[in-house]
Amino acid sequence: MNFERRLELRPLVVTTAIGLLFATGAFAQDMRDTIVHGADEEPATLDPSQVEPGAGGEAVIFHVYDRLLTVGADSADLLPSLATEVPTRDNGLISEDGLTYTFPLREGVVFHDGTPFTADDVMYSWDRVIEMAMPEGASDILSDKIAEMRVVDDFTFEVTLNQIDASFLYSSVLPMTASIVSQDAVEANGGVAEGEPNEFLSGNPVGTGPYQLAGWNRTENLTIEVNDGYWGTPAFDNVRWEFGLDPDVRVLGLRAGEFDTVETDPSYIADLEGVEGVIVYGEGLLLEPLHIGFNLNIPEGVLPSGDTIPLDFFHDVRIRKAFNYAFDYNAFVNGALAGFGQVNPHYVPIGVFGYDPEAPIYDTQDLAEAERLFREAGVWDEGFTVSVVVESGSLFEIQCLILKDSIERLNPNFRINVAGVAEAVFDEALAQSPVEYAMWAKNGDPAADPSAYLETYAHPDGEWGEVHGFANGYADPEAVGALIDAIAQELDPATRADLIGEAQRVLYDDPMWLIGAQEGAVTAYRDTIKGMVIQPLWPRPSMNFALYDKQN
Amino acid sequence: MTDASSPLRRPSLPRETALRVRMRRSGELAVKILSNPTTIFGFVIILLMLSMALFAPWLTTPNAPDPYQMPRDWGALRMPPGTPNHPLGTTNTGGDVLYGIIWGSRTSLQLSIIVVSVTVVIGTAIGSIAGMVGGKIDEILMRIVDVFLSIPELIFALAIAAILGPSFTNIILSLCLVFWVKYARIMRAQIILVKQNDYVDAARIMGDSRLNIYFRDILPNAATPVIVQATLDMGAIVLIGATLSFIGLAESGIAEWGVLVSEGQAGIASGRWWASTFPGLMIFLWALAFNLVGDGLRDALDPRTEGR
Amino acid sequence: MQLRDYIIRRLIVLPILLLGVSIIVFSLTRIAGSPVGVYLSHEMSAAEVLQIEQRFNLDKPLPVQYFYWLKGVFQGDFGWSGVASAPVADVFPAKFAATMELSITSAIVAVALGLWLGTYAGVRRNKMPDHITRIVAVSAASLPLFWFGILLLIVFWANLGWFPVGRSTNDIWESIAHPTGFYIIDSILAGSLTALLDALWHLVLPSITLGFGGVAIIARMMRSSLIEELQQDYVDAARAKGLPERLVLKRHAKRNALVPTVTVIGLTIAFLMQGAIAAEIIFRWPGLGRWMADAVVRGDQATIMTYVLFTSVLFLLANLVVDIIYAKLDPRVRLGD
Repeated sequence: MNFERRLELRPLVVTTAIGLLFATGAFAQDMRDTIVHGADEEPATLDPSQVEPGAGGEAVIFHVYDRLLTVGADSADLLPSLATEVPTRDNGLISEDGLTYTFPLREGVVFHDGTPFTADDVMYSWDRVIEMAMPEGASDILSDKIAEMRVVDDFTFEVTLNQIDASFLYSSVLPMTASIVSQDAVEANGGVAEGEPNEFLSGNPVGTGPYQLAGWNRTENLTIEVNDGYWGTPAFDNVRWEFGLDPDVRVLGLRAGEFDTVETDPSYIADLEGVEGVIVYGEGLLLEPLHIGFNLNIPEGVLPSGDTIPLDFFHDVRIRKAFNYAFDYNAFVNGALAGFGQVNPHYVPIGVFGYDPEAPIYDTQDLAEAERLFREAGVWDEGFTVSVVVESGSLFEIQCLILKDSIERLNPNFRINVAGVAEAVFDEALAQSPVEYAMWAKNGDPAADPSAYLETYAHPDGEWGEVHGFANGYADPEAVGALIDAIAQELDPATRADLIGEAQRVLYDDPMWLIGAQEGAVTAYRDTIKGMVIQPLWPRPSMNFALYDKQN
Repeated sequence: MTDASSPLRRPSLPRETALRVRMRRSGELAVKILSNPTTIFGFVIILLMLSMALFAPWLTTPNAPDPYQMPRDWGALRMPPGTPNHPLGTTNTGGDVLYGIIWGSRTSLQLSIIVVSVTVVIGTAIGSIAGMVGGKIDEILMRIVDVFLSIPELIFALAIAAILGPSFTNIILSLCLVFWVKYARIMRAQIILVKQNDYVDAARIMGDSRLNIYFRDILPNAATPVIVQATLDMGAIVLIGATLSFIGLAESGIAEWGVLVSEGQAGIASGRWWASTFPGLMIFLWALAFNLVGDGLRDALDPRTEGR
Repeated sequence: MQLRDYIIRRLIVLPILLLGVSIIVFSLTRIAGSPVGVYLSHEMSAAEVLQIEQRFNLDKPLPVQYFYWLKGVFQGDFGWSGVASAPVADVFPAKFAATMELSITSAIVAVALGLWLGTYAGVRRNKMPDHITRIVAVSAASLPLFWFGILLLIVFWANLGWFPVGRSTNDIWESIAHPTGFYIIDSILAGSLTALLDALWHLVLPSITLGFGGVAIIARMMRSSLIEELQQDYVDAARAKGLPERLVLKRHAKRNALVPTVTVIGLTIAFLMQGAIAAEIIFRWPGLGRWMADAVVRGDQATIMTYVLFTSVLFLLANLVVDIIYAKLDPRVRLGD
């Protein structure tokens, strides 16, 4: 390691004259390097209660806080973290009725501010999220499921659920909402108030994680330092996030060696493959299926003026299926995604529990079948025009263009208008209930358990299904709902897997979405970084810096 | 300087001769304009561009159903020039660059013709009202013009287009909203000047109606700087329109030069130079041609600037 | 009218114009829709959206919203930038410094090259160099700036590797402090030659790109006003006195020709502000222009408003300064028309 590298570790110190700096740098010598990461997004907040799922802050929170359980690099299995055991029925930590979970907690853990960690902090952290109920955050993941929480003793924590829920451990322990904050630190700095952001915690995380925050220069960079007192395996190197960089700038910086790791996506792989010193690594799939939604509950008079479809257009299963047959999957996966992706079934992503590879999926364009279905539905001769709203300049927009090309080449009377809009406009459009378009394109939110997907995206009474009228389309909405409910409450893994396979088949025959593909999890990094892994269940699949060692 | 108003230079002639002189001059004018080799060069480029736009459906197979969308070949992404069926290569989304150039000339032609004609009509009307009526109305109109002129053109158009949402129609709309101001100001200044001429007074004394005087005596004599400015703007508007689409305000997949340049920039680090180079060259030639012709026109119409 | 009165009158009108600008832009942005989008994520429910609207007073009628916005501006609160994930006012200074640094170096390129080219051509009127200069000037005015920049990148960056993109080499940038945000000044303050060279090295291509368009404007004006001056009687008189041509040019004609040229420097400033957007995109320059471009694409209304307001202030002030200089240089100018 040379002198210049060491200077770079201490950007805050470097404010005085060169001579002084020389001395400081020399004394502050340690063997740690800094991994420089070209980030896609600056955190808006580092408060677990307010961070939006998928936002830049999630990745930082992931490193500075711990949760009760965690997911390792190699499999989707849950591992102990601040809890010393994963509750199961076999070890007796899940009660006979399946409602009460007991977490034995780790002793001797301290927060970054030196205060000891106890069950009170766990209770406080979860209570806090539920009480604040910030609209940006995901407090409902906890509040919807938990009936009661109890501190049994300093190192035992107990949760009782409203009803049996097979996905509880995944959907409520893993998300950033469930990070454990220091009760003392929060109480000393503003405490808890409903609906009010906590200014202190949004910029000063106090957790137990392998890293602690070292500095945050708004709009420029954020540095985390290795936590020397960490209870688990210590991290190797410090990390600096660099902000305000466009995708192509990150790609260029990686090529030039300015960054060690960058946030990237398959469309940039062509610019990185074969570059000296850069490794492109793809492993597994992101758990965010790229989808195009059908609106089965279009309000009167809201569609764009060019649209000619009747409001009940997508109530007809033949039309939904025809769209699924018409889409050019090959163009999307091998063209737009550069081969980093895979077509996946409805709505059980590849890689989550219970996914049945035997179930049929739409994975090849079948124009003849699409034509047959469109004719049968009686729209072939007259044709139609329908708009799909999408964030302009995104991968989703390319998905829409492929749909447009696919459908329009099938029949010149068919028109798909791709309404590309700015990100903020799109977010607002999608926050309408129901969406004021007949179709939209986006990706699903990642989850670790199939029930989270099925309930959100397929259940007729779920988040999307209820508002967008899925009950108008399913041949038997009650049966679909009952099946999904059964999956959520089935605690026997084998039976549950069978039910999930059944759901895949039902949703194949009665699709509510057009799923383009599951994007491949891919990353590009400098060859000085050792130990790179990808785990789609982490907030950013290739970002668990505690595992990476930078070697010059 | 692109502002072509040259208020002091209009010769004041008696009304009877003014018409005749104008007739005679138009012949001389044509000769004068065509005697400048750079102007002819500009004309030739414009003619070539226009024929490209006109014959686009015969030069390439139009993309069905919407020929203004790029034909995307998802099996031939990022192909270099010389690839069979793609003589100028393809873009990151498999769009044929040659197709984009040919149909892009139609897009550009539409853009410049619509924006220039709309803004000239609106600008002339508002400028004329302000100049002819004067008083309070003039004051109000000119204060509005002042506010519009406080924001640099491109930035104003950018903000409006951003608010309207990304689409080619919105780019046209935003440019119309911004560019009329310029013509209004030129026209007003001209009218105030021309109004002071003897032949206008003569007409008024003879009892001609105001509308008559305006259309027969004032407008023709005040129009020259507007015509020159409009010619220059035919080029300038394509430049600004292309900049807006380059920034990302055109709709997805449209065959437009600025969009192609923008799409192409992602690949230059990896040596894919073609997707932005060719379409950019077209924008350049288009703007150059109208600038040359506009300059030639100004020189010919305004003898004092000859040889400048 | 007295110059002083004139300046005072213009300074009084300035805020009124800005108020007009802000009303026009504000109503335009709100006609298109509420800016609530930057605070939303797509999985929010209607109740959560309402909660956020209430937090930022976006549920109020439009004039009330304008009042809140204006009040914020006077308190230094320009809203939340969705693009930067931070308050506009926090992000602005650093981006402003980056843009100013680029604009100033570009202006130097434009003025130096433009005056030289204009003089060179004006003296050799209707000779070959004049024709070439003329063609260069017309070409520069027709050149899409974003395309010119990309051509430079293809040649000097992608193929030859002589010049970098971006504003700095990350490691060097991190090694010095940034009290002013102007990289050149910061590197001098830090006494780091490496950083200074790094700053200049990164400035070369974007400054040429951005400056080149300004060259056309200035060279044309310089040429024509020089030609006009050279036809004046006093020039003939000076020549008759036996003054060498070089001195005639330098002492008399050139100085007087500068007067009208000053007026187009105002135009050049507008040009630089507009061109900075494209130049910053192409060269990955972390300035206001690039921020604006991102804001435009992602619908970040607070940033768009701030940027438009800022450029108007700059533009109006630049024009005022130009008018004053013009009046000082040429007593024949009548103010207040």
